[in-house]
Amino acid sequence: MKVSQIVKKLQLTKVTRREDLEREVTGGYTSDLLSNVMGQAKTGMIWVTMQGHHNIAAIGSLIGLAAIIVAGGTKIEEDTIIKADENELPIFTTDMSSYEVTGKLYALDITNKQ
Amino acid sequence: MKTFIADFHVHTLLSPCAEVEMTPHHIVMRAAQYGISILAITDHNSSANVPAALEAGRKYGLKVLPGMEVECAEEAHLVVIFATWEQLLNWQKIIDNSRIGLPPNNAEKFGKQFVVDADDNFLYEEKKLLLGSCSLKAEDVIKQSKEMGALVFAAHIDRPSYSLLGQLGFIGDDLPLDAVEISRLAIEELKEKKLKPLVNNRPYMTNSDGHTIADFLQGPKNFLELKEPSLEEIKLALAGKTERKFKPGYFIKYDC
Repeated sequence: MKVSQIVKKLQLTKVTRREDLEREVTGGYTSDLLSNVMGQAKTGMIWVTMQGHHNIAAIGSLIGLAAIIVAGGTKIEEDTIIKADENELPIFTTDMSSYEVTGKLYALDITNKQ
Repeated sequence: MKTFIADFHVHTLLSPCAEVEMTPHHIVMRAAQYGISILAITDHNSSANVPAALEAGRKYGLKVLPGMEVECAEEAHLVVIFATWEQLLNWQKIIDNSRIGLPPNNAEKFGKQFVVDADDNFLYEEKKLLLGSCSLKAEDVIKQSKEMGALVFAAHIDRPSYSLLGQLGFIGDDLPLDAVEISRLAIEELKEKKLKPLVNNRPYMTNSDGHTIADFLQGPKNFLELKEPSLEEIKLALAGKTERKFKPGYFIKYDC
């Protein structure tokens, strides 16, 4: 499933301005511990977190994530958006909790089983 | 130059997780007994036991520095240390304003929070929750406290919880920290240098993070050479300014 389809189905708010929404999402990962994400998340995954710190953009582009969803109504810093734009990494926000977002992604068959 | 043994991260019985034996007077007395000559008192988000420690420090002739272990919005622990009690008191106001709306402490679940005087007399029990994060981000804690004169370091960065490195994955050059604290377990890293790139080559320090007297005395300290035991001199030593020395990974001789 493409990032753009997930955005529509989950009604996410896009905060980045230069991004690639046509990438295929190959799996998902949910964690707020960025050191853990660095070790465990894989290229092409969509990452659900409540951290808005600009390190999420650096880590997301380092791993080659398809997108980041910042859940729980966390506010995104402008420098996070700038860093994500530099790497064409899409970041979305939602008021849904990480639990709800992850559950909905799973229901869309993004299950890491492929 | 004079030599000093310093511990910049010690909890008193005000921290809910610390033992009741950790009265400011007891900590300072033991420090004096074992030759620890610079001591920062750093309770969680609170400074209420610092005046007693300062008084005890004057009595026993060792340098006590007023400090606090702050939990920032990213749920990482940062230790701020000031030169004077007045500076810390002003900092406390900022922290109190950023911790509004938290529930009261549940002493049964988290532990009791005692405030005492310099002679170990009970003054009152702090009812506010001292655990939990404030609304200030790491960057704000570091920048705002430094503007007020603080020395700031990221606590126990090699531990699995409440570590700035763990929460953020790496510590970039946008955070003007004076140092990062590593635990006893990571002292080998001083040689292996695995951590260095992740923390942008910041200076290390090693402190006890003592919650009991045994923790405090057995835990790592720092060996310093300074002109005098002042916060300014400690900052210069950390920054590697000539003549002064800051050597982490120092242990005192202590048999329990």
